[in-house]
Amino acid sequence: MSRDDPRAARPEDPVGTPVGDDPEAVVERGASAAGDTPVEPGATAERRRTHPITPLVTGWKIVVGIIAVLTAQNIARLADDFTLQRALIGLGIVAAAVVVAIGLSAVSWWYTTYAVDDAGVSLHSGMISRSREFAPRARIESVSVERPLLARLLGLAKVRVEVAGGGESYLDIEYIRSADAEQLRRGILGVAALAGTGTEGGAPAGGDAGLPPSAEGLPAADAPAPADGDAIGHRLDDLLHDGVTDGELIARIPTGRLVHSLLRDMGFLLGVVMSVLGVVVAISLAIWQEGFSFAVIIALLPTAIAIPKYVFGRIESGWGFVSRISERGLRMRRGLANTRTDNIAAGRIQRFELRRPLLWRGPGWTAAGVTVAGIEDSDEDGAASVLPVGTAEELRATLGHLAAPLGTADDAATIERMLTAPARDIDGLRTSVRAFWIDRRTRVSVLLPGALVQRSGILTRRLEIIPRERIQELTVQDGPLARRLGVLDLEVTVAGETMTLGELPRRDVLALHALLARDAATLRRYRDREHWPRPALVAGAPEAGTAPTSAGGAL
Amino acid sequence: MVPMSGTPDPVVRPEPGALPSGAPSGTPSGILSGAEMPRDPSMPEPVLSDDPEGLLGAGALRPVSPRLIPARYVGGLIGSVIWVLLIIGAIVSASLSGMWWIAALGLIPLLILLQALLLTPRRVRAIGYLDAEEDLTIASGIMFRAVHTIPYGRVQSVKIDEGPVDRRYGLAKLTVSTANGASTVVLPGLEKAEAERLRALLTARGIENMAAL
Repeated sequence: MSRDDPRAARPEDPVGTPVGDDPEAVVERGASAAGDTPVEPGATAERRRTHPITPLVTGWKIVVGIIAVLTAQNIARLADDFTLQRALIGLGIVAAAVVVAIGLSAVSWWYTTYAVDDAGVSLHSGMISRSREFAPRARIESVSVERPLLARLLGLAKVRVEVAGGGESYLDIEYIRSADAEQLRRGILGVAALAGTGTEGGAPAGGDAGLPPSAEGLPAADAPAPADGDAIGHRLDDLLHDGVTDGELIARIPTGRLVHSLLRDMGFLLGVVMSVLGVVVAISLAIWQEGFSFAVIIALLPTAIAIPKYVFGRIESGWGFVSRISERGLRMRRGLANTRTDNIAAGRIQRFELRRPLLWRGPGWTAAGVTVAGIEDSDEDGAASVLPVGTAEELRATLGHLAAPLGTADDAATIERMLTAPARDIDGLRTSVRAFWIDRRTRVSVLLPGALVQRSGILTRRLEIIPRERIQELTVQDGPLARRLGVLDLEVTVAGETMTLGELPRRDVLALHALLARDAATLRRYRDREHWPRPALVAGAPEAGTAPTSAGGAL
Repeated sequence: MVPMSGTPDPVVRPEPGALPSGAPSGTPSGILSGAEMPRDPSMPEPVLSDDPEGLLGAGALRPVSPRLIPARYVGGLIGSVIWVLLIIGAIVSASLSGMWWIAALGLIPLLILLQALLLTPRRVRAIGYLDAEEDLTIASGIMFRAVHTIPYGRVQSVKIDEGPVDRRYGLAKLTVSTANGASTVVLPGLEKAEAERLRALLTARGIENMAAL
């Protein structure tokens, strides 16, 4: 792509210059990564393997998966003709499968190495088809530590490095010791922070830019983890607290409030009640029709599992939630069986979404979610939910540290008012069509100096906040009906999400479009002027002579 | 209904003075409230014209090459032949079987063929683009019209495609994508030199104005 041209022309500093945020080039896979980037990590840092127990953990998952698939399909028949001999044969096959799976995992473990240095993070894997993944430090969006149940019992953890871009844009380093994981996380964040602020308009010379203060803990820098005498105490401590202990406390959700909030969430309750009723009705109908049979139960098993899983997921997403602010952004920990620790940097947030169901209005609770380029989370229990259920005070603290100022005299009060006031009392843009009377009463868009805010929802009030400097693209949609009604749709796109302001008066949409287009083009650039190596990039390669550069000079 | 005028009065006011400052008193103060507000000199003029008769934004936009019309006809030749065959098949089977209503089955291909033949010139003329000071605007569609605006600093990648038919007519297709990920904006029917110019402009301006996500 053309955006790579200037980069290819200047191979001497491939990592210090964050050229755009091309999602295609984010995780550079295959040999091209080595070709484009001479300063690949691993050249200067020692390559390390993951923990030797890893094959056991991953191999175990494969075996369980195979058994689950086989038995789920044939369990009725297996139960019907059960003999000791068959059971023994079955066990033998399972044992063989375990050995083979663990053997394969061991081989793949042997060929999996990772390295971290100040160019970024690299992960090599594969025996037959080798893959080399590389996350340049400028693209690292966030680093999270996840502890699935089994790994947690063994004292292991998985480190996930998220990079900007869509699709599978992350590197998983699984599994390493929990203490190491924490250090590795800090080390990678230190490297990433180097990219954001440390470059000072230019690229560091080669690969030996100063390590960040926290890089002493980098496994690549000093391999043995801290004093082994404390290791057991540390591990216990980690199991209990998972390390989110430093920094100013932003929010802590007591279990009581979490349970209350779920009971007060009508959508959640209705969903659960309806699906439970559905399963019960289906089972009783089947039994009434053809008598009790094993097959019916088996057929409904997935649904019967899905309901508790959903409920458990909702509980888990807020269980023991703690968030603290550190100099690298918001650190969050949550989870009951699988604990996860996430890190979200304020500068990476593209959009906020606040949610207040009907029965949360009394206690004034709010759920807050964010859209971050690179973190893909379709479900609610991921890093994208920065406050599962928070009080007004916690919401104020969270938004105060994460959100860019909205530009009003009192941002928190403005947000609170936009959540509490009836939508028709809020001054702003609303549809002019009388026929859409629900929309007229519940949907309103307000342009604040710092952000575009849309309030929507009838029972569950929703507030979508898009900072005006984050807008990527604007689209005005017109259609025959819209022309007749004198309205237009405006789609405001940020990285990863599109907000639609529907059926607004044509004149207002066009005025808003012009204003937002100017903001999108200029605001971010002015703010970032000190941080981005714009002059270095343009002035650094005047002799490159590539088509875009010379054409740029002519224009 | 909103009265349409050539130069709409902007009603969006960006200064902090006109904001609801939390408003515990419950008095809503206007941000976007009606045309009685004085005109703000810092407001940019709306770029897109909204002529009740014409297409949205058509006034300021540049058209693409008219050679796209024959190119589209040629490119759609295979499809047209299939539709014609279907129509002929319907008529023939109607006359062979003696059941006249079978010929009605040919109506749908006929409609598709006719609208493709008749509307292609208008569709091509409806495509427009404008490489303004700060952003690129691309519009297309007659009935359902979409106008995309992409600031130069947000462009992630630019692609030029030339199909075999396009190449014969000296045309190229420009595809622009942003960090949005899902959608790309396509501008067909550019003269080759113009497509190259736009690509160079987007690349150069993209580097100059590069903004983080």
